Amino acid sequence: MKCELCHKADAETAIRHEIQGEIQELYVCQGCARQTAAPPASAPSAPEAGQPPPPPEGMEMVPLMGMILDAAFEIVGRAMNLAEPACPACGILRHEYRKQSRLGCPGCYTAFSKELDAAIFDLHRATQHVGKVPQRAQALWQRRQLEARLAEAIQEQRYEEAIVLRDELRRLPGPDAKEGGPS
Amino acid sequence: MMLTPENQADAPQPAVPAEAATIAMSCRVRLARNLAGERFPDWATERDRERVLGAVREALSKEAPELSMVPVSGIEAQERDILCESHLISKDLLKRAAGGGMAVARDGTVCVMVNEEDHLRIQGFAQGLDMQSAWRYADELDTRLERRLTYAWSPRLGYLTACPSNVGTGLRAGVMLHLLGLRLLGEIEAVVSALERMRLLVRGIGGEGSEAAGQIYQVSNMDTLGIDEAGIIRRVTRICAEVVRQEYNARVRLLQESPLVLVDCLARSLSVLQNARLLTTAEALEFLSALRLGAAMGLCTRLKVADVDSLILMMQPGHLQKGLGTAMTSDERDEMRADFLSRKVARVKLKC
Repeated sequence: MKCELCHKADAETAIRHEIQGEIQELYVCQGCARQTAAPPASAPSAPEAGQPPPPPEGMEMVPLMGMILDAAFEIVGRAMNLAEPACPACGILRHEYRKQSRLGCPGCYTAFSKELDAAIFDLHRATQHVGKVPQRAQALWQRRQLEARLAEAIQEQRYEEAIVLRDELRRLPGPDAKEGGPS
Repeated sequence: MMLTPENQADAPQPAVPAEAATIAMSCRVRLARNLAGERFPDWATERDRERVLGAVREALSKEAPELSMVPVSGIEAQERDILCESHLISKDLLKRAAGGGMAVARDGTVCVMVNEEDHLRIQGFAQGLDMQSAWRYADELDTRLERRLTYAWSPRLGYLTACPSNVGTGLRAGVMLHLLGLRLLGEIEAVVSALERMRLLVRGIGGEGSEAAGQIYQVSNMDTLGIDEAGIIRRVTRICAEVVRQEYNARVRLLQESPLVLVDCLARSLSVLQNARLLTTAEALEFLSALRLGAAMGLCTRLKVADVDSLILMMQPGHLQKGLGTAMTSDERDEMRADFLSRKVARVKLKC
């Protein structure tokens, strides 16, 4: 996920910030974390040489091990429900599917792809499907790919390419499956 | 040939001894499938599951009218036990009251479970090591259903399943093996260990998490991604054929080298079955397993392997109660089981 302050860099750290007695928790990038944690100009005293600056009152750094240390994620992640990754298609939270070892929907394979890909490799020692291809599902997947490319082409005003993509879409069998399917 | 990971890859298919059918009891191919855009059953609402059940029912009615759908809620308690004991459906499906369903072919070659762990579990069944037939039954039905249902699938991960351990082909190919000979020779642990090193799953008769009661093992593939369906079927068949050969050799060696161990095992088991007044299912399975070995080796009079297989099924709680036409407590069943089996094996004698 992106930093909740600058919305540019990837979030790597969580901070807890007390505002009017209420603790807010944010996922932020390292830059914003440093900036936010730096002592204010009116700080009463500078830190001793060689020592990291102490966090200002009401704010503490929470190291997140993310994908590396599951246990740490569980503890911190549970305390930070808002920031915990969730599947946009079914709403299942990361710790929920981990607890039951069952995913919520086909969309979870996309939502949790980072960690799932590693787990799938551990399970099967492979990363690529070979074998049967269901025609309807393949057509649906192709349609979604084309739709995404078409939207991008229109967005970027590449109209000639958009026309080609639109024609390709028209040649595909009609969509009759619900959204949120295969990744 | 020793069962080692090194020699299992692409080795020529060795001839399976004629006795294979008495060692490889049956085989099954299961395909896990889910519908695109629907929550997996564990996280779905009752309404979601009913919707999936309706979609599958409609697809079955058009593409496979020979299979009629029955909702789990419509199956009577006694019938549920019988279906589980026959390995047609799982206990997990029965827990899924709302939205659970099953459809089975009259000849018993295919069965579909709806809303178990995945939306569809398409199963093909065959005798012995005839995995190709089991695969064909399941594959044909899957292909027909796919004309009506849009499966959750991606080019990279294949069929998307509720548990990532099934993703890819969604195919689990399993063989039920009776390995008492290897057990009596004290070699079963080494064989199970070798199978696990070759990334095969070894489970008991009751499936995942169950003990290998009666020395009956289910051996199936672990990997479902990165290897195609034909490759999985070939691999499981080839390795299980090798296990069958090892069990066959163990039986020959038992007879030649330790006949007393073998005969003692058979005699004790027959005595208990003929004289016990109370028998639990697990106990009965242990003794019937020995009798099955004796029948397979031609050491018992008036007893064939198929007879023992029938007794193994008939002495289980659901079948026992149906046969006697009445519901019983566990203690009553143990008494009835002992009585039933003692009558069935009363005339059996050992030839040695």
